[in-house]
Amino acid sequence: MKFKTALSAFALVGCLGAAMPAFAQDKPASLGLGIFTFTSGPAAAYGMPGKNAADLMIDQINAAGGIGGVKIAPTYVDEAQGAQGVITEYRRLAAEPKNQVMLAALSSANCLALAPIAEQLEVPTVGWNCDTHQLLQDGKSKYVFRPNGNTVPEFVAYAVYLLAKKPDVKTVAIINPDYAFGHDAAKIFKAALHALKPDIQIVAELFPKLGSPNYQTEISRLTTARPDVVFSNLWGADLENFVRQAQPRGLFTSSQVILALGETVLQRVSLPDGVIVGVLGDGWWMSPDAAANPETKKFAEAYKAKFGEYPVFPSIKMANTILYVKAAYESAMKKNGGKWPSRAELAEAMKGSTVTTLTGKSVTRADNDGLVDQIVGVTVKSPTQSFPVIGDMVRYKGDALMPKEGQDPIAWISTLKPEFAASLPKPGSYK
Amino acid sequence: MNAIIPLVLDTLSSAALIFFAAVGLTLVFNVLRVLNVAHGSFYSIGAYVAASICAFIVSRHLNPYLSFVALLFSAALVAVVLGPLIESTLIRWTYGKSEAVQILITFGLFLILEDLQRMVFGVQSFYEDTPMRLMGSSSIGGVVYLNYQMFLVAMAVIVVFGLRLLIKHSRLGRLVTAVVADREMAQSIGVDTNKIFIFAFSLGVFLAALGGALAVPTSGVAPGLGADTMVLAFAVAAIGGLGQIEGAALAALIVALARVLAIYFVPSLDAVAPYAAMLIVLLVRPYGLFGAITTRRI
Repeated sequence: MKFKTALSAFALVGCLGAAMPAFAQDKPASLGLGIFTFTSGPAAAYGMPGKNAADLMIDQINAAGGIGGVKIAPTYVDEAQGAQGVITEYRRLAAEPKNQVMLAALSSANCLALAPIAEQLEVPTVGWNCDTHQLLQDGKSKYVFRPNGNTVPEFVAYAVYLLAKKPDVKTVAIINPDYAFGHDAAKIFKAALHALKPDIQIVAELFPKLGSPNYQTEISRLTTARPDVVFSNLWGADLENFVRQAQPRGLFTSSQVILALGETVLQRVSLPDGVIVGVLGDGWWMSPDAAANPETKKFAEAYKAKFGEYPVFPSIKMANTILYVKAAYESAMKKNGGKWPSRAELAEAMKGSTVTTLTGKSVTRADNDGLVDQIVGVTVKSPTQSFPVIGDMVRYKGDALMPKEGQDPIAWISTLKPEFAASLPKPGSYK
Repeated sequence: MNAIIPLVLDTLSSAALIFFAAVGLTLVFNVLRVLNVAHGSFYSIGAYVAASICAFIVSRHLNPYLSFVALLFSAALVAVVLGPLIESTLIRWTYGKSEAVQILITFGLFLILEDLQRMVFGVQSFYEDTPMRLMGSSSIGGVVYLNYQMFLVAMAVIVVFGLRLLIKHSRLGRLVTAVVADREMAQSIGVDTNKIFIFAFSLGVFLAALGGALAVPTSGVAPGLGADTMVLAFAVAAIGGLGQIEGAALAALIVALARVLAIYFVPSLDAVAPYAAMLIVLLVRPYGLFGAITTRRI
């Protein structure tokens, strides 16, 4: 009998213990943060600036006392190990109660793989990059958030900017990486161009393997197609390789080139003037809004001092995401009288939030997708920097280029009319 | 005609790079009968060393044309340091063992070398394009090509003829041929097979490292290059017939042509084109284009 009573008591304590994370709790010794990015392989050229920014932003937050007095203790996971390894690491980190929130991930493919697990394990998971519009399309996510926007506004913005800048464009060639991000971007960009200027022809579409070191044949193919415009959302080492190989072969002079992620290589390779580039959001550390924010200037200078170059937009996306998590904690604690929030309370605080970031604002919609402005411009020489910067800029409002919640994005894009583009701000209007 | 010129030039320049990736692998198999899975690592180490030496030349404002010498020197350096060391400490113990053992051991070596590269060179990409910029570009058939691409084609031709001269017309080459033909007989007439093996393995390392070094000015080097190179090298070696140098050259041309045609006409097949070509060749000639059925001792 005594044994049965003891067993029942033990089971009751066990059940209560298991239920604890659902409620507000005492402040932990540290806040575990799982941060997923590429720290090796060709994609590290994009992933490491994100990690660097996380290091710096966490140092700055911890130096100021942490979040609600709790210091952040990050654990980094290298996404280069592939989806299976990333999933295993995610499950391992999520099983430790100290890891209350995950910043996952960089790769769209990994984000799609992790999203159902985040919902299943009820772990707030914030996509710090995760561009694919498919991530939150069903509108049912409770624990997955993406404060930095998605592929739809990012690539519609390029189509609108291009047509404002070069209204007579007739032929376009595309070279994007061969996975979800590259194919999604091509589909969105083409749909937007066809909606806004139906006579545009796509004369070549190339999808080289992610991580290709050599683009010489692709460059020949693009050159022989003689397009007015070459569009690319290559990134990381792939983008650097492409630029280094295409520039001496005259591609940048024979066609108007759009490099959707071009800002990431401005400090590393020599881009000529007039290349259309942007930051897939508002994360340009030299934008007028960023320049007016002392916190951003402080962050950029500290980044330069620590890592030898200024932050690129993946750095800003990561820094803004950490600010987003910090704001959610502060909001959740304010709601429950200063107590440390549970995972569920933290997720609740992210819903519908408006967070001031280093470069603007991030508004989280009911479907957990973020609305951020889109900055696009062209490369110009800088009087203050040794590398080209972005000039002739435009800043499109975040909600202007996004379909409503639940709306099929491609169907929405096909409804766009030239008058829609005419109603948007013009290149050079953001000063 | 104008449409054909880019196809031909792209095939040739692409084939040159592919040939460099594969020829060392096929040479080592020919002499040592070892399938060296670590071959791709020598390619990427050659690339890293070349990038580092060229960067040193540029940073010290030395004569930029020294960077061409650096490309060859870095390959030789890698071969002299790693070739004898790895052959005598690791590869030698795999001779006569089953292919499965050889592949496991050389795969282990590959993993070790990949991690060592990460420790030494980090995870960021390396670029040094001085040789490419020095050579400039030319417009051919309405398309601008880098003169360096044509330089690669010339280098590949030199390597094919150089290896042929070495194997067929030098004393050392004849000794290698003797060892390939009958290892025991060669040993019994006084040929120091250990030295021949060290030489052949180091030559294979040199060719792989040279391929990596020559690729640096246009492609740079980043972690993962070794693995990609290895897979392609195996496809080329299989098409040409393992152990066949001329076969590797022809196979490189076939693989390059398949890729170029795919990129020009069916871009979605770009990644599978080399392996589709391999499959077709092996269906028709299971031992590769230049391979022959060999008898096996029991």
